[in-house]
Amino acid sequence: MKPYDRGIRRVVTAGLLLAITLLLTFTNVAFIPVPTPAGSATIGHIPAIIGGILEGPFVGLVVGLGFGFGCFMNPLVTAVTNDPLVIWLPRLFIGVTAGWVFMLLRRANKRVLAVMLVLLALLVLYYSYQVGGKILWLSVLIAFLTGVGAMALYHWARGEDVTIISLAIAGVVGSLTNTILVLSAAVWRKVPGIGPEVALGVGLTQGIPEAIISAIVVVAVVSALRQIGKRRRGARL
Amino acid sequence: MASYDALRHLTIGQYIPTGSLIHRLDPRAKLVALACLIAASVVASKYSNALLLLLLTIMLVKLSRLSLRSMLASLAPVMPVLLIMASLQLLFYGGVTRSGGPNRLLVDWGPLHISTASVRVIIITWARFATLFLLITLLTSTTTASALTRGLEGVLRPLNIIRVPGHEIAMVGAIALRFLPILGEQLEAILQAQASRGVSETRQSRWRFLANTRRMAQMVVPLFVDAYHRAEELILAMQARCYHGGRGRTYLVVSTPHVSDYLTVLVGVSLVALAGVLQYSILP
Repeated sequence: MKPYDRGIRRVVTAGLLLAITLLLTFTNVAFIPVPTPAGSATIGHIPAIIGGILEGPFVGLVVGLGFGFGCFMNPLVTAVTNDPLVIWLPRLFIGVTAGWVFMLLRRANKRVLAVMLVLLALLVLYYSYQVGGKILWLSVLIAFLTGVGAMALYHWARGEDVTIISLAIAGVVGSLTNTILVLSAAVWRKVPGIGPEVALGVGLTQGIPEAIISAIVVVAVVSALRQIGKRRRGARL
Repeated sequence: MASYDALRHLTIGQYIPTGSLIHRLDPRAKLVALACLIAASVVASKYSNALLLLLLTIMLVKLSRLSLRSMLASLAPVMPVLLIMASLQLLFYGGVTRSGGPNRLLVDWGPLHISTASVRVIIITWARFATLFLLITLLTSTTTASALTRGLEGVLRPLNIIRVPGHEIAMVGAIALRFLPILGEQLEAILQAQASRGVSETRQSRWRFLANTRRMAQMVVPLFVDAYHRAEELILAMQARCYHGGRGRTYLVVSTPHVSDYLTVLVGVSLVALAGVLQYSILP
């Protein structure tokens, strides 16, 4: 493949993913009902994650730029704040982080992934130990949920392809980038009504379902496009 | 089912030719001036500069001979949500807003606090919102998609020095705008095909969000696969026509900026300065 053929592929893929982003942002098909105060989770940021995974972080950045533009045009977003540093800047990084994570993990083996899972679980357990000093029941709850979550993830990952696992992780990371950076930017720029406590609450209740949804959709779409794990996935979706 | 039919007509702001002064401006000048005005409206957080910018934007809409009423009419569907959000901000954030200046409580009744600061936040947020909405609608209704792409490429050209691929970014935008209605039509076809096979249209309870996500994936995956096939065709077509990026490319339409274009940019820059000066002045 000549260098400019690679360039054409990047430009065209980014263009079509951007079209999908705008389609999902401007219509109401992209809202999944979830049990949180906001009532629905969006999948508008998913094309940026997929762009980062398929064609590298730069395509993810360009699609993220377009997603920021779509949010900028959305009256429901701009009625809260019209600060480009809150609406636009954080969204550039969605595809970049997802692309980087996928590039890093693509060649990993299962042992590395298991060690990462254990480290993550230990980190959350340490957090629950910290909480335990103030609110005991919350600490026990967090520890219990961490244990159950880690077991479930381990059980799921044991039977899956490494590529599928890294796709899911890239999806989660991309989605969390969106949640964390947008809310931090909102707190930093002092958007009326979003203080640190509100941001933390919104982040937990909205960020976690969006991350799970993002992982499911990213795995489904990329494995359909790349024909990964065709035998198992093809039957389920 | 009827709700799917609207997808095909999805466009970001319809181009409405009226031949006004604003229509005839160079797209590059329009983009730079728009960026300046958006920057000014972000800086503005006082009554004086926020309302001045709103007034100026309304004057620009009048100058472009477009109908202000029909522009605002497109906001009607989201109005109830916006009003609920605004009233929540008004009622509950009176004590929370920590903006400077004297903050006097107007209403203090149980958990409800309405202060001068919360009234101010609401008025300024809405003025900024209206400014931004009108500006973006003004840009898209006075500029064709191709002129917009050309303008974007022209604005990004100086960034080539720091290796920002301006031509490629503009091309991505052009492809996205071209394929938006086609993919909308495709999404509509997918939804109808699935409805005809008995996929229920009503969504499940929000607690079963994994089931809802799987339904969503059934709809989104064919859309992505279709886009991927179209991308492959387009890549082949572009290779066959020897497309090789922006380097050494010449253009069919070469626009030379006029005096009015330079004036537009100048006015935009001076408005940012004015908004900044008003921000630190003694005016409210």
